[in-house]
Amino acid sequence: MPAFVTFWGTRGAIPTPASWTRVYGGNTSCVEIRFNDTLFICDAGSGIRELGKDLARRNPPPKTLHLIISHTHWDHIQGFPFFSPVYMPDMRIHVYGQHANDDHTCRVLSGQMSEEFFPVSFKELGARIVADHLHDGRRNIGGVEVSSFPLNHPGGSFGYCFAKDGRKIVYATDNELEIQPGELFPDLKNTGPLRRMPEALVQAVQDADLLIWDAQYDEQEYATKKKWGHSCCFSATDLAIQARAKNLALFHHDPECTDRAVDDKVESCRQRAARFGSPLIIRAAREGVELKF
Amino acid sequence: MGVSLRTLRRERLTRRHMLEQIEGDGPSAQIALDREEMVLGRAADAQIRLSSSKASRHHVFFRLRGTDCVMVDNDSHNGVLLNGVKVHSAVLRDGDVIHVADSVFVYREE
Repeated sequence: MPAFVTFWGTRGAIPTPASWTRVYGGNTSCVEIRFNDTLFICDAGSGIRELGKDLARRNPPPKTLHLIISHTHWDHIQGFPFFSPVYMPDMRIHVYGQHANDDHTCRVLSGQMSEEFFPVSFKELGARIVADHLHDGRRNIGGVEVSSFPLNHPGGSFGYCFAKDGRKIVYATDNELEIQPGELFPDLKNTGPLRRMPEALVQAVQDADLLIWDAQYDEQEYATKKKWGHSCCFSATDLAIQARAKNLALFHHDPECTDRAVDDKVESCRQRAARFGSPLIIRAAREGVELKF
Repeated sequence: MGVSLRTLRRERLTRRHMLEQIEGDGPSAQIALDREEMVLGRAADAQIRLSSSKASRHHVFFRLRGTDCVMVDNDSHNGVLLNGVKVHSAVLRDGDVIHVADSVFVYREE
């Protein structure tokens, strides 16, 4: 059975509705990954609201959802109270921690619905919200092998691999691939050598059919935003090349990044991959686009 | 001079969706996507017909959803490229370039 990936929110930091974000979208992080009847939702940024509406239109609408949160910064959880399935009594939503007794994500989702922030409390939600967990970062969920790996972001974040029937999808956002000493930076002319990426990360995403990766900045932007916890698109490209990923989706677009600037990033990353002789297919994650693998 | 609320509403609800064929079978053409669903392909009943053998019979659907137009690959043999990369479906945006078989279209909305 094929895997389907749909982008519902691709923006980082804060929702950015504007004429100049119309193509790639202004909603914050939310990606649907579907293997047959097993439906994963990666992050609950503002894009999850449209996903909720779409799920209600499906025939039959799903009754079980698996919510995987990379980390609990606002742009990854702010859509949860507006996700219509949470109000449906016949809905079951599993929210995953990294290990047994890890209910951190559920507690934060609940906390953002306290009366200071939202008129409906977590306890009043109609759906059955299950604080579930991986087993030390791994678990088979509905026939899909799910595994997590730590990312470099202030406060921490996790990337996730989803694998079934020889297909592998990786969702990893809010991660800073740091430029190592001695490497050419900023590579403004796109002439520098391939940057060597941490072996653990390369292994984690090896041979992915699709790598969805934080690529918030270009070289120039990253120069002033080191230690902010996000990658530049050249580093994301270099990781994908080293891991022999087949497709790379540049993700978590900066709120200041116009559609045209996103196009420019894609083009420069394609030139980079071509220069290294890589067959990697590069695109920018775009709201409303569904991919099939 | 005032503009009536009814006029404003009509203008805001209406968005015209067009495909402009810039490469492929026959002369360049402008095709209005003005039905709830239109199919592009090689079949005789396709509203937008292609003669290329690389096109599937019912290759891709264009569906109106609210004020948007959604393109859906009908599990075609050769797939659909949106701005040069393969997609299964997409909400289209003005200026999108769509490759189907030997034909290239630009999507326009106004």
